[in-house]
Amino acid sequence: MIFLWNLAAKNLLRNRLRSIVSIIAIAISVAVIVFTRGLLMGFIDSTFSLYIQYETGHIKIVNQEYRLKQRLLSLNYPVDGFNGEGVAVMTDQLTELEGIELVVPRIKFGAMASTEHEAITMLGWGVDPVLEDRFTKIEEKLVAGRMIQNGEKEIVLGNGLMEKLNKRVGDKVTLLYTDSFNSFKGVTFRIVGVISSNLPLINERIFFLPLDLAQHLLEMPDQVTELLLITPNANQADVFFPAVERLFSAKNALSRYSVLTWQEANEFLAYMDLALKIYDLIYIFLVLLSSIVVINTMVMIVKERTQEIGMMAALGLQGRDILKLIVMEGAVMGIIGSLLGSLFGGMITRFLSVHGIDYSQAMSGMEGFLIDPIIFPSFSVDHMVFAFILGVVVTAIACIFPARRAARLEPSEALRDL
Amino acid sequence: MTLIELKGVEKIYQQGKIEVPALKGIDLTVETGEFTTIFGPSGSGKTTLLNMIGCLDKPTAGQITFDQRELGGISKKELALIRRYNIGFVFQSYNLIPVLTAFENVEFAVRLVNNRNDKERRQIVLNILAAVGLEGLENRRPNELSGGQKQRVAIARALVKEPKLILADEPTANLDSKTSIEILEIMVKMNQQLKTTFIFSTHDPQVMEYASRLIEIRDGEVSIDQKGEKAGVYS
Repeated sequence: MIFLWNLAAKNLLRNRLRSIVSIIAIAISVAVIVFTRGLLMGFIDSTFSLYIQYETGHIKIVNQEYRLKQRLLSLNYPVDGFNGEGVAVMTDQLTELEGIELVVPRIKFGAMASTEHEAITMLGWGVDPVLEDRFTKIEEKLVAGRMIQNGEKEIVLGNGLMEKLNKRVGDKVTLLYTDSFNSFKGVTFRIVGVISSNLPLINERIFFLPLDLAQHLLEMPDQVTELLLITPNANQADVFFPAVERLFSAKNALSRYSVLTWQEANEFLAYMDLALKIYDLIYIFLVLLSSIVVINTMVMIVKERTQEIGMMAALGLQGRDILKLIVMEGAVMGIIGSLLGSLFGGMITRFLSVHGIDYSQAMSGMEGFLIDPIIFPSFSVDHMVFAFILGVVVTAIACIFPARRAARLEPSEALRDL
Repeated sequence: MTLIELKGVEKIYQQGKIEVPALKGIDLTVETGEFTTIFGPSGSGKTTLLNMIGCLDKPTAGQITFDQRELGGISKKELALIRRYNIGFVFQSYNLIPVLTAFENVEFAVRLVNNRNDKERRQIVLNILAAVGLEGLENRRPNELSGGQKQRVAIARALVKEPKLILADEPTANLDSKTSIEILEIMVKMNQQLKTTFIFSTHDPQVMEYASRLIEIRDGEVSIDQKGEKAGVYS
């Protein structure tokens, strides 16, 4: 067998240019797969992480009506305890469940500020500063000032929003909003900190205020619009989810609240999972395309070596041995091309996983999405191994067609090709 | 002892709707150790006859017996195994694998027939290459060898598995007369030392002079079948 592999490898040297072209075709497609897979995984990991942090937690609890009208940021459908006893009791009981490390409360509401030139629409997030920082590490994003404190009439906002408002840390700003009774109100806050983020949503639309202040201003005592439960690992949320659901069921609260895992809580994430599966098919198609070059090469090889194949048959090689030899030759091209491609793709992905690809221009106008415009492809040896194996297997399978043709040649007819 | 027996062997090639008869009822017996030459004009059916004897093709009609085994109805796989263990081929254009050295070309045939260890296999190949006068040229590739040297490699490749029969299709056609004689001398030596049966197809009168038996094929039929005296273990 080693002898046949050796022969297959040596045969590639007969027409070096042709072999090189075939190998390059495979290498390019494999490199594209490594890079695309890395890019996609990097994008998905980043997006999943952002959605978990700012949208869903690992398990999300919202009022069912609120979920249906989530875009309206209605304050009329709060989370206010299992049976209206207040969110604090609910939080305490959820915290006691196994695997629930953190319960993060938020109130999200719409607000507006006006400057001399324009009215600026904003999103207010009432958060518990300590819990929020434990979950999202929001303080690490502070570029000036400090984080908000409970009980104080102060806000932290993104530097994009600061620019729009033309304010500095320490300045005051008056914001307009509607409370839970639909009363239109205004209040003046002191700006105590500025955060900077790649996310246009965080940078240009959101301001954070203390949760207790938000509850007071919005007339929502002991209420929030959502509760995010944090488990030790997002991928293990499913493990702890049933206990949460059982608790809500025991309290007869399932008819009022939606209890959702992070995958269920956002349709966009489900589409991403689907995209991954579709891309797996695209990878196979991509390698098949490059395999056409290899198939063409192998067809030419069989044509050129008909006489030699006849000689081998005369020596006593069976059809399956000849098939094996031709497939091996294609496989050697597949192995070399896939190896080069996975190494090259891996190098590019590794480089860009550190430096990132800036899609800010392309994503302008998409401030509403939790998508980081700088994508850091995910470098993984697994992606390289996946692309390598895919390249070798698909190329070898593609070679079966010309190899079968060679194997079926009648020895006497093949020799007559002299 | 009879090695090959052909009874009423016919071969018809189909070219579109036209049937072209290549062999028309050949009856022939070849004994072990014969040094036989098949000659005749181009298109007479020499190569077709060699293909039948060499288990490379099946007759349209008739019966072929090789080493007391009737070949009718046996599978392609079995035919390949008969060729692998019993028959060596020498071709007019050598048909060496260009990317392999002389040693590797011969070794290729040995690897097919036995499972000897590397050391033993190496010795067998070196011995046969020395026997055909290629000592010191083992590591040359075909493009580094002369026509005569290539044909010696081809002969070594055919002989190395110690077959019962060697079929040579115009083995001297591409060689000058001096080299042709050298090649023929090697074959005669092997025929006499190993008692290997040789069957040639040729136009070359020199080859005919070495044969112990001359068979002329004309229009797909045996027109002359006579024993010579110069070569063959039975001469």
